[in-house]
Parts: sequence; C-alpha cells; structure tokens
Amino acid sequence: MPVIEYGSMKINVDDEGFLVNFNEWNETVACALAENAGVEELTKERIEILKFIREYYKQFNYFPILNAVCKSVHQPKNCVNEQFFDPLTAWKLAGLPKPDEILINIIEYGQTPT
Amino acid sequence: MGKFIKKPNDLMQIDYKSPQTDWMDTPADIREHMYLHPTKAKELGAVDFPNIHEWKPADKNWNLPENWKEIVLNGIKERLQKYRSFHVFMDICVRCGACADKCHFYLGTGDPKNMPVLRAELLRSVYRKYFTTGGKIFGKAAGARELTDDVIRELWFYYYQCTECRRCSVFCPYGIDQAEITIIGRELTNLLGLQPGWIGGPVANCFMKGNHLGLEPHTIKSNIEFMLDDIETITGIKIEPTFNRKGAEILFITPSGDLFGMPGVYTAMGYLMLFHELGLDYTWSTYASEGGNFGFFTSNEMAKRLYSKIYSEAKRLGVKWILGGECGHMWRLWHQYQNTWWGPPDFMEAPVSPITGTRFEHASSAKVVHIAEFTADLIKHGRLKLDPSRNDHLKVTWHDSCNTSRGMGIFEEPRYALKNVCNHFYEMPENTIREKTFCCGSGSGINASENMELRMRGGLPRANAVKHVHDIHGVNTLANMCAIDRASLQPLVDYWVPGVQVAGLHELVANALVMKGEKERTTDLRGEPLPQKSAQKSGGKEDAKDV
Repeated sequence: MPVIEYGSMKINVDDEGFLVNFNEWNETVACALAENAGVEELTKERIEILKFIREYYKQFNYFPILNAVCKSVHQPKNCVNEQFFDPLTAWKLAGLPKPDEILINIIEYGQTPT
Repeated sequence: MGKFIKKPNDLMQIDYKSPQTDWMDTPADIREHMYLHPTKAKELGAVDFPNIHEWKPADKNWNLPENWKEIVLNGIKERLQKYRSFHVFMDICVRCGACADKCHFYLGTGDPKNMPVLRAELLRSVYRKYFTTGGKIFGKAAGARELTDDVIRELWFYYYQCTECRRCSVFCPYGIDQAEITIIGRELTNLLGLQPGWIGGPVANCFMKGNHLGLEPHTIKSNIEFMLDDIETITGIKIEPTFNRKGAEILFITPSGDLFGMPGVYTAMGYLMLFHELGLDYTWSTYASEGGNFGFFTSNEMAKRLYSKIYSEAKRLGVKWILGGECGHMWRLWHQYQNTWWGPPDFMEAPVSPITGTRFEHASSAKVVHIAEFTADLIKHGRLKLDPSRNDHLKVTWHDSCNTSRGMGIFEEPRYALKNVCNHFYEMPENTIREKTFCCGSGSGINASENMELRMRGGLPRANAVKHVHDIHGVNTLANMCAIDRASLQPLVDYWVPGVQVAGLHELVANALVMKGEKERTTDLRGEPLPQKSAQKSGGKEDAKDV
C-alpha cells in the first residue's frame, strides 16, 4: 500500500491517492493529499470547502450538490471547480474513500443515470 | 483507459464507405471510448442478475459461462414464444434499407452495422440459423450464421450503440421497432452476465435505496431543502413541501437526477415553486424516489421489479393519482408497459386536475399524468400569472425527447407552455423534431463518461440541428423534458455547439411564474441577473416566431 511521507507524517493512501483511513484526516493530512495530487497550496477557502464536503458526507453518505457547497461556505458559484479543477479532486482531498465508478461519473462528469 | 481527447474536427471525418469484406466476415472493432465498462460483481449484490463475472470488453476471452450457447438459444426461444412482436420483427424485414440512414449512430459513425436494418440482422441471422427451416438448410445463402463468441461480442457492442429511440421505425414500411429488437438483444447479453456498470449499478442502487443515484431518504430531503433555500433567496418565499405524507391527493415522482445533477436541480426548483403557487395537495416519496427505470435497459422483469415500488407507495399513501416529473423513458414505461405488468391500479382514480377540473382521459388507466400536460392545462385555463420577459435573455429551442414525443405523442403541450413563458422560441428543422426527432445520443442508459466518443458521434445529428438555429437565430438554450437529456445534452452542445445551455421546461416556467407575495426578482433560477426592464420593450412577442 502506498505511503505519503509529509514532514514527519506517514499517511496510507490507495493506488490512486485516496486516504485509506477516513478518520486520519486533518488539515495537515489534507495538505499532504493535496501535494500528492498536484494541487498547490490549500488556502483557507479550499480548506473550508473540504471541511464542508467531509461533514456532509458523514451525515448524508453522498456528495453535496455543488451549488450547495459554495452557498454554504459563502463562496462564489462554481467555487469547487474553480478551486480544485474538478469535484472528484475535492472529494479526494477531503479524505473520503474512492467512490465507485457510477459515483465518479456523477461527481466528476455531471452525468446522472436517470 | 485514457481520456477522450478527439476534437470535433476529428469526429467530423466520417467514412461512409462499406468495408471490403462481407458484413458476416467483418468482426466488430471493439475500441476505447465506444463502449460502456462492465459491471463489477460487488456492485450488483442486491439484485440477482445471472452469471455476473469479471471480464473486459477489449479482451478476446470474455469468460462466458461454459454453456453460454445454450443460454442464448434458450433465451431466444423463450422470447420468441413470449413476445409476438419479436417473432414478427425477426421474420418480416425485407431489407429495403429505408431505415439505413435514419439512425443517429449510423450518421455519426458511418459504421454499416449501425444501420438499423443491419443491426437487427446481427440477431436475425442467428434466429434464421436455429429457428427457421430455410436457415437450417441453406445457411449463409439464406442469411443465417452460426452463433459464435464473436457474434456475442458483436451483439453486445452494437446493441449498446442503439439508444432504443425508435426513429428508424418511423420510416420502416413494416413498422419494425428496432427498440424491441435491441431490448431483446440486451436481455440476451444480460443472461450471459455482460451487464454494463452504468446500467447495472444504478439498477442495484434503485433496488436498495429507491433511486438510481443511491440517495438515501435524509439525503433526498437535504437536497430538496437546499433548493428551497435557493428559492427563498430568489423569491423571498418559504416553501414547505411534505414527504411520504399519507392522504395526499397526488404523489409526485421525478427522476432522481433532478435531485442532484445540474441543470436538473433547477428543473426541480421549478416543480417546487409551481406546486407551492397552486397550493397543490401533493407529497414527495423517499421510498419510490425514482421516475426513471434503468431496469428497462436490462430486462423486462427487472423493469417491473423496480417499478413495483411506485404503485405500492401510491397504495400505501392512499393518493388519488400520480404526477410524473420531466422524464422520457419513464413516460413510455408508465403508459405502455405498466398496465401489461399489473393491469390498471384500481386503488387510484382517473386523474383530475384539482386546479382546472380537467380530467386526463388518456391517463385514466395508468393514473399517471406528465407534468408537461398538467402545466399546459394550467396555462390554457389561465391559472398561472406569467411574465415571459424574465426569460428574454434566453433564445430557446425545443428538443423532443424520443420517448415522450415519438413514443407517446406529447408534441404540443411543452411547446404551448414554452411559448407562454418565453418570448423567443425557435424550432429546429422539421425533419429533426417531433416524431422525427434526433436522439440525444445517450439515451437507454448509455450516458456514461467512458463512451464519450460514441456519445458525441451519436449526438452529432441533434447537435447539428441545434447549431443551425444557434447560427441563424442565436439560440442559446436547448430546452427539454427528460432527465437523461438534461444530463447528456450539455456535454454534447459544449462539444459541438459551445455557447448553448440546456434547461428543463419547468426551470423556464418557474422563471416566468409570478408568485403571490414574491419579492422583485433580480435573478433567474441559476442566479443569473434577469434582463433589464428596458430590454423587455425591444424584445417581446413580436420577435418570437416559429421557423
């Protein structure tokens, strides 16, 4: 299993860089995941988005509606795409487990199977 | 699999020349971005599809069950006995070719096996070999061929390159319905465990959680509450819908894409605003929370199984009738299949609009009304106060969704509604709309991301017609009333006709809807600024016209 070394930390991730232990997440771990994913600095705005996505997932077992993320953290519409390029990257940096292929289609490509 | 990177100019190079070899001797070229990924066995734990196994479309060996040939031939035999239509369609084609250039997949790929006549022939040739005397005796000379694993590969590849849109059947002098043949062909591949994930996964989700997306009840409620919050921001009006409420007059069911995806969410906001304004006695269900039915794209039995939740929920809640949101295949299934499965539901009543008193006679058997019919009736009776100038920033055209239009004949209702809520409406060319409408290229459960080349090719004829009105009239909005369209048309027009947005009908209705007690609106449902009042005078009805 791949391990990210970040400062003195060692963080277990899967082959695609998703955090293995959901409860291991904190802001420093998020920075490590971001560096691993090639995302530059995790600004305050980005951290706010990640925290919201994470809390939403804990409660609702799903990704929040994109506009709801931005409205809830008081950021401009399209904030997720603007800050992270695509919502799946935000999902990954929030320390959530890799979604199945259906959810990837839904989250990353905006396709819904209905 | 790498990302799909071909540009429109690449896809425009379509080779319509036939291959050098006879079609029976030309194996399917199963290539990336043209097919759906297989289902992972673990995703299907909740449903008992047969022979689910690990396999890869690009491999030569698909790990078929040992007795695969017996499974397929028995499957054909059973369906010939069960479906008279299938038997007739296997026999009566005279191969006139009237359908050949009517298929969007043939037009977009140039592959002769996407001519409906030849796509059907892929299966018909097997039928002849094993089920007709002529085929048994004369073999290839009679258009018959052995069932081999290459034939299975070919069937699988091409039967997921048909969206069951039925445009070809409009032109067939015999009325052969290619969708029926594709449905059977897909059932046969399903028997072998060759279920695509984008279809099988949502089926399992729907069976477990009530909807294709896998939204749990509290998540559905949360998503709708977010929409309500947005509606309050835009209109100042607080809406409080009910969920799973016994004794409601109407059960409202819509595709779950409207509860999460964009622009479906705006359409759902439209429903919420309309029902609130009417004071409609209705309820949402978090149990039967899916209007679509991807089971229909696997087998007839699975379609029935998924939809059993809808009538059972209607019975449990004691509603009088069901109102359906903007969906395509839901509509055909509800009216053309449900009565065959269960007979008319006698625990409900023939639908009557509580607002206008209109009795929806055509829905008296299935007890289900499409919201486009419901809303058109409201407008016809003058029950909605509308300000179409709020949509003056939009130049709109209408995409007839295959199942609602060609399948069910709902042509006029959405147009009537649209012309009353928009000042600028333009039709696409006559041979691309109404019963001759071109498919979005992604229907029947193939709107995934891994088959993007197929989707862009299949959607080219539709996109081409959109481009026509975009270039001539400046059309910037492609309206429709189907959830698959809302999800799949946006990437299509982004690819072929940048500058066009996709919108559901009720998003536009709600933009124009003047609600009692609302504050002055400054934005549309997307949060975009409304056109300036001064601009209304220079726009207006006189600019609107049909072409």
